[in-house]
Amino acid sequence: MHLFNNHGNSFPSLLFLLKIATRGHALLKKKSDALTVQFRQILKKIVSSKESMGEIMKTSSFSLTEAKYVAGGNIKHVVLENVHTASLKVRSRQENVAGVKLPKFEYFTEGETKNDLTGLARGGQQVQQCRVAYVKAIEVLVELASLQTSFLTLDEAIKTTNRRVNALENVVKPRLENTISYIKGELDELEREDFFRLKKIQGYKKREIEKQLASAKEFEFAEKDSSQKGISRNSAHNLLSAGREKDEDIIF
Amino acid sequence: MYGFEAMTFNIHGGYLEAIVRGHRAGLLTAADYNNLCQCETLDDIKMHLSATEYGPYLQNEPSPLHTTTIVEKCTLKLVDEYKHMLCQATEPLSTFLEYITYGHMIDNVVLIVTGTLHERDVQELLEKCHPLGMFDSIATLAVAQNMRELYRLVLVDTPLAPYFSECITSEDLDDMNIEIMRNTLYKAYLEDFYKFCQKLGGATAEIMSDLLAFEADRRAVNITINSIGTELTRDDRRKLYSNFGLLYPYGHEELAVCEDIDQVRGAMEKYPPYQSIFSKLSYGESQMIDKAFYEEEVKRLCLAFEQQVNT
Repeated sequence: MHLFNNHGNSFPSLLFLLKIATRGHALLKKKSDALTVQFRQILKKIVSSKESMGEIMKTSSFSLTEAKYVAGGNIKHVVLENVHTASLKVRSRQENVAGVKLPKFEYFTEGETKNDLTGLARGGQQVQQCRVAYVKAIEVLVELASLQTSFLTLDEAIKTTNRRVNALENVVKPRLENTISYIKGELDELEREDFFRLKKIQGYKKREIEKQLASAKEFEFAEKDSSQKGISRNSAHNLLSAGREKDEDIIF
Repeated sequence: MYGFEAMTFNIHGGYLEAIVRGHRAGLLTAADYNNLCQCETLDDIKMHLSATEYGPYLQNEPSPLHTTTIVEKCTLKLVDEYKHMLCQATEPLSTFLEYITYGHMIDNVVLIVTGTLHERDVQELLEKCHPLGMFDSIATLAVAQNMRELYRLVLVDTPLAPYFSECITSEDLDDMNIEIMRNTLYKAYLEDFYKFCQKLGGATAEIMSDLLAFEADRRAVNITINSIGTELTRDDRRKLYSNFGLLYPYGHEELAVCEDIDQVRGAMEKYPPYQSIFSKLSYGESQMIDKAFYEEEVKRLCLAFEQQVNT
């Protein structure tokens, strides 16, 4: 993995970090959008579920009242006393939606609903109807519970993702970019300084050579003098033609 | 036949008859019910009821009022009136009045027994009992560990004792389904009441046997319909039918073998009074049977009242 150099330390270059930050930012934004879409869908479902729940609870309460009316007011206590364990139970599962684990509830019947003789002599029909109504009510309630927990979990997840997106966008990337541009600026300046120095030195050398040439004209031994000084006469030539010969001052 | 009882009737029953007429006047009328339908909140209902005879019972309740409180207080009124009448009654009227409560007593006993079997608290169970069915040793029902003890300790002193002994052996008591026990007891109670009324003779016998026969038949039909598709066998079903009534014995034979509503309807249509009830229901619909029977019962009770009080 090329985050490490040959010595084994983590040594990623800044440009690479910037690349990763940009890619991560794009991915997280996509994730946030997907989660938001799911969120809106769940919200719509919650609204319709709640409305239907109000209706269903009303009907089931009323069917309980009917049962009580026909079978005698004590029917509630009779039923309660006869029950051992619940036969309708709820269990939870995990569902993975766009990378977020959402809990989901579903109900299942366990054990035989005792084929009841409740209200044998009066009201049996109403009791059975009441049971049917309440089973439906439970269905809706369980669904609503799933939706609401997913809603809360998604809300958390969206907030976290958005926080990360914003952090990347407003903190990490600018910092990296600033560092990169600062470094670039420094390097450019160093280069310019170097270039300037080179130019200056070349200027000096040129002047030296011209001075030499001028003084060599006066003396017969101009060549001998110049070679003593270490500068050959030929170095007064145009720099452009020095491409043929290597100028020892220029390093690059 | 009725003539000569009227001469001595007022000696024993005059006061109570006056009270009964008074109560009759205090029943809620259709106008009252209309008003109640218009109410939006429970406080409105309380306000409307305060103008009726139920007023004094409700006026001390603080709002917010709960539906169960209203029901409790109205039942309390009924219980108070009943107890008042019972105190004033002499034999055989007092026995007659007590017979009326045996049904509630059976319900209470069954409730406490099931609750104890499932280890619920006795006090809670006592609160859930119907007030008209209370008797003194009812709390000791919870002490018994099994049905035999239950019978020996408690029930033998109550008026319900003969119902237990004549229809159930002790083994049956142990594994019988609680509903079956309740219905067997109720069957024995109805038969006992019927015999008692026959013994009293006169107008009582005539009116009460009509009402009790209707009750027995109605229970038979309900038991049949509600046990279709359950684990109740035909023999068990037949054991729950009473030994009197229009349907006895041939109707019971037919009902015992019925397996769905339409067969029941077929069996019932041979008896004119019930045919008119069943004609109100369309085919395959069973929810309205309870309602139709209830209406019929109320009609008959009204007739009985009118006949008894206005002759």
